[in-house]
Amino acid sequence: MPDTPPNRPGRPPGSESFAWRAFFQQSTTPVFVLGKGRRLRFANAAWEELTGVKLDDAAGMVCSGRRHGTPLAAALAPTPEARAGRPDTARRPPPTARAGPPWWDITFVPLAGADAMVGFIAVVGEPAPAAARAVPPAVAALRARHATHYTPDLFAGPSPATRRFVGLLRHAANSPGVPVWLVGEPGSGKETAARVIHHAGASRDRAFVAVDCAGLQPYLVESLLFGHGGVADTGHVGTVYLKDPAALPRDLQQRLADLFAENGPRLVCGSTTTAAAAVAAGKLVPVFHTNLSVLELPVPPLRDRFADLPRFVARWFPGLVLDPAALDLLAAQPWPGNLRELADVLRGATAAAGGGAVKVEHLPREFRVRAGIVPPAVAPRPITLDPILEAVERRLIGLALRRAGDNQTRAAELLGVFRARLGRRLEALGIVKPGEPGASATGGTA
Amino acid sequence: MKHPRVVVLESDGWVAKQLRDLAAESRWLVRAPRTTDSALSLVRAGGPAVLLVQFDPGGDAAGPLGLIADARRLAPDVPAVGVADAKLPDAGRAAWAAAVLDLGARCVLFPPLTRPVLEDVVSGLMAAAVRRTTGGEAAGGVIDLADEDGDG
Repeated sequence: MPDTPPNRPGRPPGSESFAWRAFFQQSTTPVFVLGKGRRLRFANAAWEELTGVKLDDAAGMVCSGRRHGTPLAAALAPTPEARAGRPDTARRPPPTARAGPPWWDITFVPLAGADAMVGFIAVVGEPAPAAARAVPPAVAALRARHATHYTPDLFAGPSPATRRFVGLLRHAANSPGVPVWLVGEPGSGKETAARVIHHAGASRDRAFVAVDCAGLQPYLVESLLFGHGGVADTGHVGTVYLKDPAALPRDLQQRLADLFAENGPRLVCGSTTTAAAAVAAGKLVPVFHTNLSVLELPVPPLRDRFADLPRFVARWFPGLVLDPAALDLLAAQPWPGNLRELADVLRGATAAAGGGAVKVEHLPREFRVRAGIVPPAVAPRPITLDPILEAVERRLIGLALRRAGDNQTRAAELLGVFRARLGRRLEALGIVKPGEPGASATGGTA
Repeated sequence: MKHPRVVVLESDGWVAKQLRDLAAESRWLVRAPRTTDSALSLVRAGGPAVLLVQFDPGGDAAGPLGLIADARRLAPDVPAVGVADAKLPDAGRAAWAAAVLDLGARCVLFPPLTRPVLEDVVSGLMAAAVRRTTGGEAAGGVIDLADEDGDG
């Protein structure tokens, strides 16, 4: 009869002497074992790496949230549910932080014995549940609803400039993959136009990613697109909108150009100048002009589409009543800040109108001045500090001298200054000293 | 110009705490509304602002992400930043980042978050927001006594 029991089906050879410590040491998942008194009995190398603590130093530590315990002991403490014998997961901040993120998601599995609990085996697991790795249907539905807002009709209006522009937008949307360069004044709606091109185009089922090249530091732009979990090369992105790409360093411009030249996502750029002008000024690598601005779309400024004003107002401020005279005054402005400026002005006018109809008097004063409705404000009188201070000083010294009966020593005491300083000030201010020719009993000036 | 504002919608106050020093130094207001509606009102009030929205990829992310979409639509000049509170593998990060950017965020941050990165993101976006509000002009016409030493 053999000394060792025969292997059961499915059991690996030699498993009767299973080296469980070595087994856990192979794992890159942090694992630790607590005894029944919640003392740390074992932890693997991944746990040591995560916590920055050696097992030899931590073994025997009671893992509980008691007042005098260490933050690490509190972070590893089994939950009440686990102590009651049921597996449980807890999200804890690491001991180095009082609050997350990052978080540790610790799963405790209580080990039951014949009479009482033997201890716990715990895993510091993937912080996010598996369900979180994919975007849930609720977020997908939100994206779909959001996309319906960005149709070419968003720009539609009766003005000829707008009609021409909407036609160009539709053409760009129906030209899949063709790089577009939107050029227009600040606030004219370039990014919104880029969204319209994306959502009306063939790549609408993928994401639109707008990158503010002047607002994010280059390393953040690089990380967003090319870093860990970067979106550039994943197939999730349909269109990348680069807002002012000339603001990026040239090496990153070139890297982006390489990405879009190799069948990457569609590129739409927005700028206040043309690609040719930016290249000529030495701010942009030439490939943006030669290859990446095939369709150049000028976004019309607001002053070229005044006929669309009522539409804009109705879209942004539904329910707002605009007096016809106020509308005429709005249409008479130059609008260097375009739609952005219009929105700001309407926001202020709505507040000034207090819920009623917006009238001329609720619009900014400079608009009314420009239209000749009110005169320009008179420049305020200058407030020059030195003459005012001198006049005040002169009056105080005169008062002190009168009260002191022209006795300079007593007047200096009243003023809280030395006698010599009073003398210097009398001289500097041209006040005739008492007792000198021309002096009066009230300290008159020369 | 209104005071620049950092609007933070989060559950635990961690992000606002990380930005407190930078905000004090830069003279920004930090607002931590409790609801998406009040956050939206704050960003629609006008003036330069940056919106940070924490979301949980494992929980109900649609609410906070809806705020990013609404802010993009109703206050397009206010840059929004999505801040995930869960670590994800690279593939999960890319999927979530694409979704949040598609809704209108300027940037999406995942753990481990560090204060320098948060500060870089917010300060860059705030500077751009201020430039948009002022039309690119430097703040002029203001006498700053802090410049007194340099004047000499």
